[in-house]
Amino acid sequence: MNVRRLLDRESVLAPLLLLPVVLYVVLFIGFPFVMSFVYSISNVTVGNPDFRVTGLGNFREILADKVFQKSLLNTFIFTFVSVGLVLVFAHALAEILIRDFRGKWLVRFLIMLPWTAPIALGSIGFLWFLDSLFSPLDWLLRAVGLLGKPGALFGPMSNLYWFGRPDLAMAAVIGVHVWRLLPLATVILIAGLNSIPKEITEAAQMDGAGYFRRLFQINLPLLFPVIGVSILFATFFTFTDMTVVWVLTKGGPPPHSTQVLASLAFLKGIQGGDLAQGAAVALFFFPVLAGIAAIVLRLVKKAVVI
Amino acid sequence: MKKYLSRREFIRNAGIGAAGLALGPSLLNDAFAQKPGRRTLRILQWSHFVPRYDKWFDPYAKKWGEEHNVDVIVDHIGLADLRSTFASEVVAGKGHDIVEFIDPPSDFEPSVLDLADINREAEKKFGKQAPFAKRSSYNPHTKKYYGFCHGWTIDPGNYRKSLWEKIGKPEGPSTWEDLITYGSRIKSELGVQLGIGMSQELDTNMAERGLLWSFDTSIQDANERLILDNKRTVDAVKFMTELYRKSMTPEVFGWTAASNNQLLIAGRASYILNSISAYRSAQKDVPEIAKDVYFTPAMKGPKGSGLACEHVIYVSVIPKFATKNADLAKRFLLDLCSNYDRAMWESELYGSPAFFNTPVRSGDRGYPAVKGAKTLRDIHNAWFTADPFALPGEAKGKLLPLKDAEKWSTNVGHPGPANPAECEIFSTYVLPNMFARVARGQQSAEDSVKQAAAECGKIFEKWRSQGLIGKK
Repeated sequence: MNVRRLLDRESVLAPLLLLPVVLYVVLFIGFPFVMSFVYSISNVTVGNPDFRVTGLGNFREILADKVFQKSLLNTFIFTFVSVGLVLVFAHALAEILIRDFRGKWLVRFLIMLPWTAPIALGSIGFLWFLDSLFSPLDWLLRAVGLLGKPGALFGPMSNLYWFGRPDLAMAAVIGVHVWRLLPLATVILIAGLNSIPKEITEAAQMDGAGYFRRLFQINLPLLFPVIGVSILFATFFTFTDMTVVWVLTKGGPPPHSTQVLASLAFLKGIQGGDLAQGAAVALFFFPVLAGIAAIVLRLVKKAVVI
Repeated sequence: MKKYLSRREFIRNAGIGAAGLALGPSLLNDAFAQKPGRRTLRILQWSHFVPRYDKWFDPYAKKWGEEHNVDVIVDHIGLADLRSTFASEVVAGKGHDIVEFIDPPSDFEPSVLDLADINREAEKKFGKQAPFAKRSSYNPHTKKYYGFCHGWTIDPGNYRKSLWEKIGKPEGPSTWEDLITYGSRIKSELGVQLGIGMSQELDTNMAERGLLWSFDTSIQDANERLILDNKRTVDAVKFMTELYRKSMTPEVFGWTAASNNQLLIAGRASYILNSISAYRSAQKDVPEIAKDVYFTPAMKGPKGSGLACEHVIYVSVIPKFATKNADLAKRFLLDLCSNYDRAMWESELYGSPAFFNTPVRSGDRGYPAVKGAKTLRDIHNAWFTADPFALPGEAKGKLLPLKDAEKWSTNVGHPGPANPAECEIFSTYVLPNMFARVARGQQSAEDSVKQAAAECGKIFEKWRSQGLIGKK
């Protein structure tokens, strides 16, 4: 049979097996991307899908918009602080978890838990945990005398008001995001650390290299391809994410203290009804993320070649 | 049993799976298609704040369907998902036949049917509609009824009488100035703050609009011209800053729709601006707090004006793609109006009618009959004089100040209509940010008002160019 023969040929079977992925990318990533571009140069609104092309006016307006400028800055702060903290904590955890100790499975299980919980649910948990009235964290601080009385370290007010103060609100969204990304980054780094040949580490130890020398001159350079992928993944994930921000603060406290590009795109495009401006905001992800991807992948390639 | 799949088997099975996935939606589509000979009416609305209302509404809609040989399907979704769900239905060109919003959906005007006919019919049958209900469903520029408004919710002040008694004001605040004078004393002497949101959320939007109106200013005038940047707005912003500094805590910047209820029930608010739902929650959870909660109408400003924003306005739309079922949808909405006594009762007086002169139907209405009541106005007056949901031993007449609430309530966009620009300004929280920038000391009141007015100006221009707002 011709079909049988065809399927036995690698040159036919391979593209056929790849076809679902290609279709997925075209339909669910390519098509929305093209639509975003078309919308961004139009006057489309949520209530009126008929639109006309208006040129680059949306981009000009957005660039001049103070809320956009603040959201862009917030996005970079949110992304780079989160990714930095994730890398540090994930490396520390991975270093601990590659060693043998009693109860290791329990620690691993607990660390993986945040990854198994849906993020919206996890964020709602933190919403309660950091509640302005009933926060158990505030209660603990009050109980140990660090909050709620004159001269207390965190102030005389009864609560910290996590979502009412810009600095604390930003700290809260970054903290929850780090909590969410940490398990995967840890697992990736554990795999990376396990792949480093033990002979190299042992030889360095015999030559008298201490922990930090081994860390910066052996482990990190050898781990760089793995860390690079982790950075890329965490950056993409954070830069485009709005779940944590939306559930915890909705971009507040005012004025837009934790607004990021993803939440601003939703605020303008869906809540405000201006789909065109929402699409224009969302399109700003593309050049930034493409640039970051190009730099990181280039560095990773260089590290692998070395 | 065979352990491995051959390549051919893999391809064949994958093909079957892919076909299943491809056919799935169309099979589901068929499952939801109308049965031959019997039509289906699909309704989308929010999950009501008072769960009891939904428990009444769903069987009511089903029964209505049985009486009209129609299958009625009611889908409830979270308030936050209403706009995005309807937006995707508009793009898809299919979905529900009636979508009920709780804020004016004026930006959807191009995608919904003109409901002038049922609005006229309703006024013939049920009498004059509350003016702000019309301004929340009618575009005077295009002369189109993009929605049908059947009800709304009062947004009074809720205060703790025992606290206000202690500082010599047992009747609660009647002016905004009272909030500073007495609210600050309650905070400093009794340690209980005021709870008026200054955050990016609904209640803040309403409270701050009420403040502007009471200071005789607004975003637009009656002819949809932007007038925000004026001295009265600056005065209102300065007032709010003083109110925050003297009577509140940073908590109000992290305010959510639930914060009013939480703070009142926890006994940590001397005054909140909210519908009676917070009080109803307290009746169930903390009766001793509920017994201490009393109500005030809209507070007056420096020149005696006093208006509050409706807390919720129920506006139903019929999308253009549902033209086939428009007759059914319109009949359903009109019949809902004539059953609004039940809607009021089942929402525990959370909802009020847009047509107060609707005649009350005879027979057993599912609540203790109100003697001599001929219209919804009679029932409303009776229930707000003696709250049928009051706790045993609770003071009489607590809801009396809300009896004529339609006189001091108005719509988003007052004194003009709730046009798409006003709604976008509402949904993107331009006013809460204007007030907060000053309260946080980041900007002067003058500069913050100018910035907000510039933002509003762009929004107005955009919707003007779409032809949904009148010319300057």
